Amino acid sequence: MTTVAIDSLLPKPGLSFRPKANVLLKPSRSLNCYRNPKLLFSRGACSCSFKPGRRIHVVEASSTDAAVIDTFEAFSSDDVLYKETFPVKRIEKVEGKIYIRLDQSEDQKNWQLAVGCSLPGKWILHWGVSYVGDSGSEWDQPPKDMRPPGSIPIKDYAIETPLKKLSKGDMFHEVKIELNPSSAIAAIHFVLKDEETGAWYQHRGRDFKVPLVDYLEDDGNMVGAKRGFGIWPGALGQFSNMLLKSETSQANAQSSSKESKDSKKENRQLEGFYEEQSIVKKVPMGNFVSVAVRKCSETSKNILYLETDIPGDVLVHWGVCRDDVQTWEIPAAPYPPETTVFKNKALRTQLQPKGTGNGSRASFTLDEDLVGFLFVLKLEDNTWSKFKGNDFFIPLSGATSVVGQLAQSDSVSEEISSKAYTDGIITGIRNLVSGLNSKKSQKTKTKEAQESILQEIEKLAAEAYSIFRSSITTFSEEAVLEIEAPKPAVKISSGTGTGFEILCQGFNWESHKSGRWYMELKEKASEISSLGFTVIWLPPPTESVSPEGYMPKDLYNLNSRYGTIDELKELIKSLHEVGLKVLGDVVLNHRCAHYQNQNGVWNIFGGRLDWDDRAVVGDDPHFQGRGNKSSGDNFHAAPNIDHSQEFVRKDLKEWLCWLREEIGYDGWRLDFVRGFWGGYVKDYLDASEPYFVVGEYWDSLNYTYSEMDHDQDAHRQRIVDWINATNGAGGAFDVTTKGILHSALGKCEYWRLSDQKGKPPGVVGWWPSRAVTFIENHDTGSTQGHWRFPGGKEMQGYAYILTHPGTPAVFYDHVFSHYRSEIAALISLRNRNKIHCRSTVKIVKAERDVYAAIIDDKLAMKIGPGSYEPPSGSQRWSSALEGNGYKVWELS
Amino acid sequence: MEVSVIGSSSQAKICKTELAYRDLRFCFGKNNDKSKILSRKPNSVCFESQTARFRKARLRFTLEAVHSEAVLESKSSTGSNSLDKVRLFVGLPLDTVSDCNTVNHARAIAAGLKALKLLGVEGVELPVWWGVVENEAMGKYDWSGYLAVAEMVQKADLKLHVSLCFHASRQPKIPLPKWVMQIGESQSSIFFRDRSGQHYRESLSLAVDDLAVLNGKSPIQVYHDFCASFKSAFSPFIGSTIMGISMGLGPDGELRYPSHHKPAKSDKITGIGEFQCYDLNMLNLLKQHAEANGNPLWGLGGPHDAPTYHQSPNSNNFFRDHGGSWESPYGDFFLSWYSNELISHGNRLLSLASSIFGDTAVNVYGKVPLMYSWYKTRAHPCELTAGFYNTASRDGYEAVAQMFARNSCKIILPGMDLSDAHQPHESLSSPELLLAQIRTACGKHKIQVSGQNLASGAPGSFQQIRKNMLGENVLDLFTYQRMGAHFFSPEHFPSFTEFVRSLSQPELHSDDLLAEEEEATESVHTSSDANIQMQAA
Repeated sequence: MTTVAIDSLLPKPGLSFRPKANVLLKPSRSLNCYRNPKLLFSRGACSCSFKPGRRIHVVEASSTDAAVIDTFEAFSSDDVLYKETFPVKRIEKVEGKIYIRLDQSEDQKNWQLAVGCSLPGKWILHWGVSYVGDSGSEWDQPPKDMRPPGSIPIKDYAIETPLKKLSKGDMFHEVKIELNPSSAIAAIHFVLKDEETGAWYQHRGRDFKVPLVDYLEDDGNMVGAKRGFGIWPGALGQFSNMLLKSETSQANAQSSSKESKDSKKENRQLEGFYEEQSIVKKVPMGNFVSVAVRKCSETSKNILYLETDIPGDVLVHWGVCRDDVQTWEIPAAPYPPETTVFKNKALRTQLQPKGTGNGSRASFTLDEDLVGFLFVLKLEDNTWSKFKGNDFFIPLSGATSVVGQLAQSDSVSEEISSKAYTDGIITGIRNLVSGLNSKKSQKTKTKEAQESILQEIEKLAAEAYSIFRSSITTFSEEAVLEIEAPKPAVKISSGTGTGFEILCQGFNWESHKSGRWYMELKEKASEISSLGFTVIWLPPPTESVSPEGYMPKDLYNLNSRYGTIDELKELIKSLHEVGLKVLGDVVLNHRCAHYQNQNGVWNIFGGRLDWDDRAVVGDDPHFQGRGNKSSGDNFHAAPNIDHSQEFVRKDLKEWLCWLREEIGYDGWRLDFVRGFWGGYVKDYLDASEPYFVVGEYWDSLNYTYSEMDHDQDAHRQRIVDWINATNGAGGAFDVTTKGILHSALGKCEYWRLSDQKGKPPGVVGWWPSRAVTFIENHDTGSTQGHWRFPGGKEMQGYAYILTHPGTPAVFYDHVFSHYRSEIAALISLRNRNKIHCRSTVKIVKAERDVYAAIIDDKLAMKIGPGSYEPPSGSQRWSSALEGNGYKVWELS
Repeated sequence: MEVSVIGSSSQAKICKTELAYRDLRFCFGKNNDKSKILSRKPNSVCFESQTARFRKARLRFTLEAVHSEAVLESKSSTGSNSLDKVRLFVGLPLDTVSDCNTVNHARAIAAGLKALKLLGVEGVELPVWWGVVENEAMGKYDWSGYLAVAEMVQKADLKLHVSLCFHASRQPKIPLPKWVMQIGESQSSIFFRDRSGQHYRESLSLAVDDLAVLNGKSPIQVYHDFCASFKSAFSPFIGSTIMGISMGLGPDGELRYPSHHKPAKSDKITGIGEFQCYDLNMLNLLKQHAEANGNPLWGLGGPHDAPTYHQSPNSNNFFRDHGGSWESPYGDFFLSWYSNELISHGNRLLSLASSIFGDTAVNVYGKVPLMYSWYKTRAHPCELTAGFYNTASRDGYEAVAQMFARNSCKIILPGMDLSDAHQPHESLSSPELLLAQIRTACGKHKIQVSGQNLASGAPGSFQQIRKNMLGENVLDLFTYQRMGAHFFSPEHFPSFTEFVRSLSQPELHSDDLLAEEEEATESVHTSSDANIQMQAA
């Protein structure tokens, strides 16, 4: 007889994943994969239905037989101080067997699979099938004609069929399933369930699996894994393979597997087989322990009599106590026979068989000054029996009443419950969380529960974090607002627009060359608007030392290489007319001077803002400023402005307000904000009340030996910190996302697109409403190319940012390129599905060669060469867009 | 080849936990690698070798699996976890209670307490400032803010460790009580003074301990009244929520002289500090002591050849490794006196505290600094200027430990997060060696040690703390400093969580297996949770 270990499905951690890969090397995989995480719960529920196998008979003290003094029944006289019977639960093992038989039915056409079990119980076969060509190891419902009568479908992937007794008096329960070998069914999977106890029986932690066709057909890549299939004598296929090394008696199987190595793969003929495995079922049994105490009139000692009906050898592990806290100690001799001292802490006495041959007993003589007798029972199979989780406690002093003592264990639990603190979650959690790795909690709690507690902790920590850092010192808690919460009282635009913004960068590094960019762009205004953009970012408008505008000189002189101030006003007017909001590119970090100081250093300004060298930071030796130390990084090509100076801030605020009112800008793109503290930015934004703001906080990502780190949390944290310093009044370019896209797309490392928490790895994963995602700008790309997006992957990049939360920004060069129609399609898809900057992303795949996500349950997208299809469930996804390396679906 | 893979898997007893995960990954790898391997190196030899490597990997996993299952079975009955042994506390923000006695960022603290409780942290440490409670006038105490915090902590079912702070804080700014500072205006000799005449206004000079300089009372009397008032105000909490009290012993609450008036800049190596014996009362004591020793000329001031604050030991004669004056008879005279004054000061405060709290269930703690800079020189100048006469040839912590033992107080040691590896080499410092030395002294006198960290979230600090917590000498408790924005920030909090969880791990291997039988004597495992189960026959 073949024997096999069958583990019941005890909930254990790490079990509840669903394997996706269809790999033939099954035994080595998914040793405990649950196809249905729900099983965990049903199992959990079942474990509660713990019923004693039989009723406990409390022995009535009605015996009149006084001859045998030392029996429980005899303790009925008046000198009895205490008398109680405790139920004892224990587990008994019952052996039996399971058989699995595959054979042809009488008509030689159909096949029949029979599963039987010899143990009593209410057996259910929980089963499903897999079809040829199925990928993954999901089960499917078997076709209707396969289901035996009495089957119940479970969701859409399994069937439950009860096992029936073959005939009255027959030991076996059995179920038969008819099979048609010409159907496309590749295998039958099942587990066995005992309804009575709720236990599940798997095969070595996995489903039983009876293959009906050779798997090699759809998984030819797996070398030799199942070569031996075809000639396996009476094979259970894969299933037998697993039995092979366990206590199998099929010694020949070994040799046959060796032979099989040489055999060629062949079309397999289905062959019948018959397998038996012995199993052990643990059945809970109810027993009792009875204890009685009486006073011995001669010695004035207490005599404690203990008996139990538990079969086999029973050891009493006992001690006494002199106080109510139940500290164990060893009493003075004499002890009953067969007593040993255990580690100086307790005594161990072997119970003697009772005369009737059923159960065992012992009696103890105890000094009268003892308060209590403490014990636990050690059973034959090395398990311990306790009283409701505690030691048994038998009071010895007559003063305390029997009832009072029995309340002992209840009062303990009461105490616990009154101590249990608030909010439903904290109770008992300490063990759970701190013992995340302790096996004990893993047995009793599911991973899901732990996860939810960790999430709760995270949530609390995030809350604490946001308050701590937003309030330096607050005296009124009401002043502290949620970061995301709108501020109703103060009338300040959020600086983040409506949340449905799509940004167009309206220039590149060459735009200044024509000298009439404003006019050129004006002609394109309606076109840009019709593509679906809502915001356009114009080049820096001020007089500048460099033609591109990023070395401003006189801030109020808006005649630049892009056009005159009047042309600019005209442009903005026509952009407004087509519904576009306009961002001005303002350079606040530095400003080029008009004059030299007495040392010949250029640090004296002219024009309307004729600042002197106090406006220049003091820690850049090139410009000999007399201002304070810079509050950020220095930009070394021009004098950095000292924003800590009141007059500087006042002037800049006025200037921004002038740009808003006189010129018509709606918001700002802030250049080089690394150069000064975000708190000043907040000041400027409060004053100028922009509709939309985005800051350029661009620093390097984290690399280890030229390999980009997976974890770019530090990088995005710096950006988020800056946004925070501005009080969230505006957004920032999501440089992190761009950097990660570089590696993900450029090196085919799409797994990077999910962070450790399964969220997008850029700023957009942390603070989507403040992230302005982009893949290229005038610095990174254009004719400068400081950090160019991987060539040819641009559309994948846009497929990512235009479907994801955050505010996407599209670079001018891409808008007016052959990508235009694809970008326009993505934008219209975004608008059609009302994806906005706070949309939710569910990343469904982040593997080496493919990334896929579902956004707001409205859009599904994938990028990368790997394959992905949205789930074919109740929702119907239809393909909306497809391009080179990307595909987007929407709900139809 | 594959057959043996399968064979090994079916032969081994299969683990339910880790293996499943690893196997899954293994198979993914395999799946993906098919295309990867083939596309990179399209020859079958390569493929074979890859597979062989996987097979090896598999076999190893299997062995692990067997091992961990064994652990699992034997573990199943024990419920203890190591957090119970080393109790973990987290410090509340220094400015938890504002100077007008309201609770700062109460909502954040409430959320934080809940998070800590969920994490399994035992309690929190609360700094209670002299300058907040007795700010307005002597003997006028306002405990309301701190009582509110104690209530929050109690509600969160956490323990509370109170630090009584008789010093001032620079950041956030919490000065000494107003009325004390006013006295100091006219009477600057209540503060420590250095050689150049600078006063240190963040704690009182230990030389005035018993002088009636505070409106007719001595500082010791004022501290005493403060502690007594605390005891009565917090009596509902003491012994239930409040389990420990640390007595402030000097600058930053530590038993030391303010040998560094200002903290060194982070990018610079900590200098050696200066002796603080130049206030009038200290000089008086020194003078008396010198005369009593028959060397009146030695009592005129501190060592003339000691370097200044941020200098290195060798920049003047006193601390030189060889032939420095610290080894001369004068050096010994001065250093003995200087360190004895500090120990007597500690003794005064700790005996005061234990006389007040001795009849309660709380433990009294005092904090000893970890002056680890320049520890590898012979003179240990940083420790000398701070008041610990500990050199290459003399153990200065013996006497300190003795003093703590005499008052049955426990010692708090900071810097448990520091490892030698992260110290600049040229600073010749060694936090680990110094810590070991002090802990040895404590062990000798059977003083329980509790730990604190100095920095927060520095590289490797959690490993170092863990090492210190779970080493051979188990700590009484560990207080992690300190709750605030950084503590809960995304850079820090996850690693802290990881750290807390990691504390319960080592048990799986060592303690539990041993504890099994031990535990059986007191609480024995029931088999009830084993449920109904089938096993291999």
